[in-house]
Amino acid sequence: MGDQRDVWLVVPVYNEAPVIADVIRDVRATFPNVVCVDDGSKDRSAEQIRLSGAHLVRHPVNLGQGAALQTGIDYARSQPGAQFFVTFDADGQHQVKDVEKMVERLRHEPLDIVLGTRFHGDTDHIPFLKRFVLKTVVLLSPALRKLKLTDAHNGLRAFNRTVAEGMNITLNGMGHASQIVERIANEEWRVAEEPVTILYTEYSLSKGQSLINGVNILFDALLRTNARR
Amino acid sequence: MLIQYILILAVVLLVIFFLRHHGTSRSGAMVKLGFALFLVFGVVAVIAPNQVSRLASLVGVGRGTDLVLYAMVVAFGFATINTYLRFKELELRYARLARAIALRSAESPEPADTENDGTLH
Repeated sequence: MGDQRDVWLVVPVYNEAPVIADVIRDVRATFPNVVCVDDGSKDRSAEQIRLSGAHLVRHPVNLGQGAALQTGIDYARSQPGAQFFVTFDADGQHQVKDVEKMVERLRHEPLDIVLGTRFHGDTDHIPFLKRFVLKTVVLLSPALRKLKLTDAHNGLRAFNRTVAEGMNITLNGMGHASQIVERIANEEWRVAEEPVTILYTEYSLSKGQSLINGVNILFDALLRTNARR
Repeated sequence: MLIQYILILAVVLLVIFFLRHHGTSRSGAMVKLGFALFLVFGVVAVIAPNQVSRLASLVGVGRGTDLVLYAMVVAFGFATINTYLRFKELELRYARLARAIALRSAESPEPADTENDGTLH
């Protein structure tokens, strides 16, 4: 796929010291430019990130995944030569091969943003309850339906400068995913979905957000004001 | 009953206005005015309870105390939503502050890590 130095991966990290160095080293074999945002981890994630060759930005306090992503995007878009940006999970659930596919599409197709989706073809490996909740969220979200998106909450996204510069995540917690989708709809960015594989290891499942957090996400999405930029 | 229409209409209008203009000084002033009116209403209810009963029957509510109760429920709902929104906005400003601090001390990786394996050669 050639020189990928114009691609920046943004990895929000919270207490992932056991796996983060391996995940980043694996990524950097293909994509050398990675920024990890340590969101106030209580373990040695920051140390591990330094060892892995990624750029490190540390939040002085824990803010949430949405805030960590926005910080990473702020950092990456100010780097010289940065043309493409990818949000990538720290726990090893995402595949570098999928990122390569998504970036290829961004390079050659008239698209602003590519979103990963778990709901193409074989979805048997996704825990049933998770599948059910995610499909329900899609049904309840007008922006998701309007854009014909199938995965409400996929952390793997690739986008270009236009989107990176227009990105302004104001929901610090997990509600950011819906906020991004809404923004895509409002700004009319050209969006496509790409089937991706999420590797549900025992480690990553133990850290997944509880489904009851869906209540918080929905509440945040409904009760929002026009927060000034 | 008249009170039902008044209450529902007032609540709907206020919620829409509230959510759209939250945080502006205009709506801040209106909230303060609303609060002052509410206090006045409370004082009147205590000093002249028969006036409240008159007002209540005017809008179709059985007792003066019931009217006070409805007003309180609406006021409480607003107070709760307002607190939640203020919190959310504070959270955002605090996040932006923390972000500025974080970005100021960002660390680039060691330039000599050419093998991308986390060690210097």
